[in-house]
Amino acid sequence: MRKINSRSFMILLMTLAFFAGLTYHTVNLVLHASEWVAEPTNSHLTDVDGLEFAGKIFDRNGVVLAQSIDKQRIYNDDEDIRKACVHIVGDNSVNIATAVQTVYRSELTKYNFTFGLGLPDNLKRGNNITLTIDTRLQKAAFRALGDYKGAMFFYNYKTGEILCIVSTPAYDPQDVPEDIETNDKYDGAYLNRAFSASYPPGSTFKLVTAAASLKEIPGIEGSTYDCHGSDIVGEDEITCYEPNGIVNIREALAQSCNVFFAKLAVALGKDKMTAYAEKMGFNSRRSFDGINTASSIYNVSEATENELGWSGVGQYTVLETPVNMAMISAAVANGGTPVMPYFISSIDGKPKNTTTLGSQMMDKEIADKLYEMMDYTVSSNYGKSYVSDKLDVCAKTGTAEVNSEGLAHAWVTGFCKDEDCPIAFAAIVEYGNYAYSVAIPMVKQVLDTAADIYKKS
Amino acid sequence: MSDTVAMITLALRIAVPAIMLIIVILCFLSLSFGRREEHALIALDDEDNNVRYPVLFWENILGRSRNSDIRVPDATVSRDHAVLLRREEGWFITDTDSKSGVYVNGTKTQGRHPVFVGDKITVGMTTLTLRRADDPTDANQRRKISPPRQRSTVSCSFILTLITILIVVLSAEGLLCSGSGWAMPHALIFCGVMWGFYTVSVRFFRRKSFELEALAFMLSGTGIILNAVHDQKQGYIQILAMCIGIILYCFMLWFMEIPDRVMKWRIVIGIIAILGLLLTLAIGKNLNGAKNWIVIGPVSVQPSEFAKIALIFVGASTLDHLQTRKNLFGFIIFIGICIGIFFLMSDFGTALIFFVTFLVIAFMRSGDFKTVILAVAAALLGVFIILSFKPYIAERFQAWTHVWEYAEDAGYQQVRTFIYSASGGLFGMGLTRGYLQYVFASESDLVFGLASEELGLITALLMSITIGGFMIYARAVTTRSRSAFYSIAACTSGGLLVCQAALNIFGVTDILPLTGVTLPFVSYGGTSMIACWGLLSFIKAADERTYSHKKSKIPANALPTQQ
Repeated sequence: MRKINSRSFMILLMTLAFFAGLTYHTVNLVLHASEWVAEPTNSHLTDVDGLEFAGKIFDRNGVVLAQSIDKQRIYNDDEDIRKACVHIVGDNSVNIATAVQTVYRSELTKYNFTFGLGLPDNLKRGNNITLTIDTRLQKAAFRALGDYKGAMFFYNYKTGEILCIVSTPAYDPQDVPEDIETNDKYDGAYLNRAFSASYPPGSTFKLVTAAASLKEIPGIEGSTYDCHGSDIVGEDEITCYEPNGIVNIREALAQSCNVFFAKLAVALGKDKMTAYAEKMGFNSRRSFDGINTASSIYNVSEATENELGWSGVGQYTVLETPVNMAMISAAVANGGTPVMPYFISSIDGKPKNTTTLGSQMMDKEIADKLYEMMDYTVSSNYGKSYVSDKLDVCAKTGTAEVNSEGLAHAWVTGFCKDEDCPIAFAAIVEYGNYAYSVAIPMVKQVLDTAADIYKKS
Repeated sequence: MSDTVAMITLALRIAVPAIMLIIVILCFLSLSFGRREEHALIALDDEDNNVRYPVLFWENILGRSRNSDIRVPDATVSRDHAVLLRREEGWFITDTDSKSGVYVNGTKTQGRHPVFVGDKITVGMTTLTLRRADDPTDANQRRKISPPRQRSTVSCSFILTLITILIVVLSAEGLLCSGSGWAMPHALIFCGVMWGFYTVSVRFFRRKSFELEALAFMLSGTGIILNAVHDQKQGYIQILAMCIGIILYCFMLWFMEIPDRVMKWRIVIGIIAILGLLLTLAIGKNLNGAKNWIVIGPVSVQPSEFAKIALIFVGASTLDHLQTRKNLFGFIIFIGICIGIFFLMSDFGTALIFFVTFLVIAFMRSGDFKTVILAVAAALLGVFIILSFKPYIAERFQAWTHVWEYAEDAGYQQVRTFIYSASGGLFGMGLTRGYLQYVFASESDLVFGLASEELGLITALLMSITIGGFMIYARAVTTRSRSAFYSIAACTSGGLLVCQAALNIFGVTDILPLTGVTLPFVSYGGTSMIACWGLLSFIKAADERTYSHKKSKIPANALPTQQ
């Protein structure tokens, strides 16, 4: 019997393994409960009354964006503000995956694991959340975009606060249109395009190619090229919008000479181009405030020489998110290293974020050169007052061809030099076709509004 | 819900795990207090060397090896020489293929041979005289024996009262949360059955302990109410199954009272089990993915559940059988046939349970890690072959550890379990106030999640811990069993229950692949409920006290002397 007893030790090990499994599950549950409970498929929260006791959402100036009164979720009075903020605030259900009312639902409803969602109504009280966005800029950006689909993203490149993030088409969360799923007008309305969409960056990508060339190609600043509007690169042509004449790298960026940068991309080669693109945020996901953005993509492993050339001017298969593009401008403005953006200021009065630096994108020396080149791009090409009446803006535009019929997305990215208004931005206008005449005036409206609010003199 | 009702419901929801915790603690305390201290039943005197060997157990290995119960340091004695065992009729000695044989009063014995006080047993060069163990504090017995501890002051009727309160609280919670008293009749019938069985057990069977049954009642009752609030009919089926289970429990306790009777019948039981499984394979219906149901009119049963009981009967063995027939050949054939049939039925959960149970029995019988490792290796090879030939089986397991990537298909149930367990918190949303009930198989495969959501994590964990506790208890009574058969059967049965609970709980929580087995006692499933009570009887039988009413007729140390 003693033998049997000693052998039954195995049984004890099995029981211990069983208890260990239970412990593992418990720990796992406690650690992830607030995340799991906020899953869009949780019927407890996505029922009509999921937010009946949720806390308020404020913008940076204390404007109420959403609150619950008598078990009803009430959004801001102004319809434009409601629409402009729907992608950051969210709606009653959890259609917008990156919105505060989706990602922070458990905080808004003050979820805690002890009672789960099972507290009686009279004991329920939500947490308030304050955002870094400014409804005045939101409204300006939303109106500027008009009927275009697209996104605008403005953030303080010194502190990281996102001041404005607007995506269109938008809809009214107080009165969700019934045909939202079927009407083409609302195609992609649940998507916050600033975070969750990536587009061909077009000429704005020349900032990446330029940064790589300034670092890797000796004497690049002294070399020139005579642009006749097109040239053979590799097995095929690279074309420019118009002949640019004799250009150096500064002029080539300002006039957006495709051949010049395509040749640089080929000279740098696939490995160096990929390495620099990845240093500047491509091929990885950015995440902040609990949100994962879409990936920006630079993959030339299968590219021919001509295609490598096109990739150097942001065509071929290159894709970029607006938020990554704004961060590249922020890096240029900030001496090579961008500040990470965030949009949650505080939860229940407790500050949520502090200014944190992202990984370095380029050396300070290179950043300073690009700074001057982007400054020159605006002053020589568009004129400073065309971009903003009140702010000193440096920028780069892009017109990214997306189909053979010549339709193109219009981009503009840049930053303000003003000490009291340190804003970096990116804007994408889908099928805007003309960066100069469509995208820049939209950005100007937001920048001028920002200047009125923040500029001290 | 008005605020007052909501607050009362909250109080009830907190009360449920609190009462359950007290029940579990009291039962296990009572189980560990109520046991007999080990003391010698008889003694063997080596008069030449003036050494006394106390005989502590009902079945004892006599030999030279270090693990023998009676260790005789004599080079001419085999390592495992003989088994000295006690039955109702008295003491016997069985020669277990020793080299030099066993002589009783000078006559060589064959098979089981009765021995009486004063008999001289010769093994090798040593002659031992059987004596009464009048002096338990013999000098040769190192272990200090403390006076028997006081019987726990907690009476079983108190524990049953707590269970009654628990069930009443649960059905009241069901009433307040759903607005309908669906579970009220169930609560009433359940408590009636429980108290009725307790009375019969104490008065008629004269059993002194009821903790094990009380824990099973706590699990069954919680499961019944959990089912009844969602579906009254399911609740009634569970109660009916529990009653049949209790009858099976009583029958098995009677049947196992004489281990030699079990040893005689085990081949028959094994053959019946295999025939039952073959019948299922031939005329069985495929319900919910596995072809393991036999449907007769309105009744559908799963013979594979009963095969679990047969498995233990076939696998467990008395010590003298164990020592004389060491090979596991017959048992391995039985297991092989069963597992083969389960694979044909695509009932992988049960196949896995059988395999783990086989490992437990194989190890308990042989103590050989090599055999066990070999068996695991063979099984892994088998699984690999099956997976490579049947890709659709591999598909079933594709979501394992990646459930969030398959949240809408293969990982649907696990993901919902996570989400709704998180929603329930420690005390649950309240009965019927959950959403997991709308997910397929919520009251059987996902019952751990359903309990987590509606009754809270604490209650779900307490129920799981209780099942784990059965196994710890089964192990604790090993040496106090009246035969190695009971010890092995109890440990195996405990192991089987825990293995099944692990597959159920860890399946939905994505720690193991989801195989779709029931949580013992709690899940909806009549056959499962009956089989669980059957399995519990093995653990009950291992507790010496179960049959102790016989003591009134034959005191433990009363020995028939030679006429």
